[in-house]
Amino acid sequence: MGVPVERPDPIAVAFEEVTVTLGGVPILDKVTATVPAGGCTAIVGPNGAGKTTLLLALLGQVRCTGEIRIAPGADGAAPRIGYVPQRLLFDRGLPMTVMEFMVMGRQRLPLWFGVRPRHRERARALLATVRAEGLADRQLGALSGGEMQRVLLALALQQDPDLLILDEPAAGVDFQGEQIFCELLDDLRLKHAFTQLIVSHDLPTVTHHSTYVICLNHKVMAAGPPREVLTNETLTATFGLHMGLVASHAMPEAGPGCTASCCSPLCNLETKP
Amino acid sequence: MTATLITTLLPFECLAPPFMQQALLGLVLLAPLAATMGVQVVNFRMAFFADAISHSAFAGVALGLIFAVNPHWTMLLFGVLVGIGIMAVQRGSSLSTDTVIGVFFSAVVAFGLAVVSRDRTVARDLQRFLYGDILTIDDQSILFLKLLFVGILLFQWLGYNRMLYIGLNPLLAEAHRVRVAIYQYLFAALLSLVVIFAVWAVGVLLVTALLIVPAATARNLARSAGGMFWWALVVSLTSAVAGLILSAQEWARTATGATVILVASAWFAASLSVTALRGRSRA
Repeated sequence: MGVPVERPDPIAVAFEEVTVTLGGVPILDKVTATVPAGGCTAIVGPNGAGKTTLLLALLGQVRCTGEIRIAPGADGAAPRIGYVPQRLLFDRGLPMTVMEFMVMGRQRLPLWFGVRPRHRERARALLATVRAEGLADRQLGALSGGEMQRVLLALALQQDPDLLILDEPAAGVDFQGEQIFCELLDDLRLKHAFTQLIVSHDLPTVTHHSTYVICLNHKVMAAGPPREVLTNETLTATFGLHMGLVASHAMPEAGPGCTASCCSPLCNLETKP
Repeated sequence: MTATLITTLLPFECLAPPFMQQALLGLVLLAPLAATMGVQVVNFRMAFFADAISHSAFAGVALGLIFAVNPHWTMLLFGVLVGIGIMAVQRGSSLSTDTVIGVFFSAVVAFGLAVVSRDRTVARDLQRFLYGDILTIDDQSILFLKLLFVGILLFQWLGYNRMLYIGLNPLLAEAHRVRVAIYQYLFAALLSLVVIFAVWAVGVLLVTALLIVPAATARNLARSAGGMFWWALVVSLTSAVAGLILSAQEWARTATGATVILVASAWFAASLSVTALRGRSRA
């Protein structure tokens, strides 16, 4: 499947020589990559490759050198970002309903006076788009992993995002739930025309839905449309270099990047019709 | 006017003397302030923060006595500075919150001790401030308390929902365009003011209780984030009034601050059994 890239897409995010060092350990090493506007870009790579760090740098939560440019929104205003974290670390004992969770970033009137009808309706509509309309009156702390994820997606969509960022969206969700979630995201992206940026470590399904792939392992190993990046050829070349040191002078650029854990399932996917 | 209102609403003989009415007014202003800020203190897990600020009062008072300035002002100023300092270090470092607070805690206490140990006469005056007494609250303090009340009400009115967002997950809030830093600094400064004020009203030992106990009770009883605010208010107000009246009874004659906290703690115990019952009915 996947939406074909027809026109030369404008760029939604440009990373230029982004370098992050945490506690003396280099996490990202001169990462230069672009995220085409309008598509679904997947950042793939093995565990500990720096994928989440790259997202945090994009969100301004990690100090980095280099430059990260985010294209302005459609109306020329500052770009709006919707963020779905990998796992929301929060205090599950906090008394809070899903409805309150949905409106706390929108409604100015304190929640002690309840939720205004205007905000309630919008929240219900958003929950309905992620097929979570039944959760509005549930306690936030009592949601399952998959339910929480859909609610977080609804919260991110509330921003009317130009750029929707998802960190490991399928972590802690069963395979079927994952499939549904990806299809839901595809539909939403086509309807709302946002750029989607996904991080995953080994999710064939997610990458199957992507239009652009960035292979990351501390540095960018390959980037491009999935068909170009994830061909047998590219991977064989990568592994050939890795195993046999065929052309050692080529190592710094094209060294062992997307290792088997990350790219071979994608490779299998590619051979499917 | 306040006096007639009090005697009509609460026809207790013990509330007749003016100092009792003054104390009641002070408590009715202070307790809900502390309780509403306490909701966020509990959500942010900042109980230890309040502790550190209240202990900075020690050094603040010592500074005032040394420089012959009214210790109330040095206490406030020093407390707010420490509060903002903790927030700044915590935001800029990878150390965990309680570690950062622990460092500040020991530093301010040590500083207070060092200052006092230089001058023995200061130590005697310190007592007065560290074991505050709501029964001796003066007009100036009441005026300050009223101003603080308006300030906190405004802050809570404008920021309650956003503070919930930040308490839930600051990174998510920041990504979704909540101005996390401003809210956090403002909160740290206002909380420091409330804590320091509570130190001189109820004493250093009872401050944390005044902040935490009503909010913790509210957490057990409420089913929503909005409800938590109301429960904290109800618990703190009833505890303040009941505590004051009980402490003035012939048979009790206990310290007011301590009695208020005891009533609040009884509320908390009751809320625990409510949670237990709820848990059973759900199972």
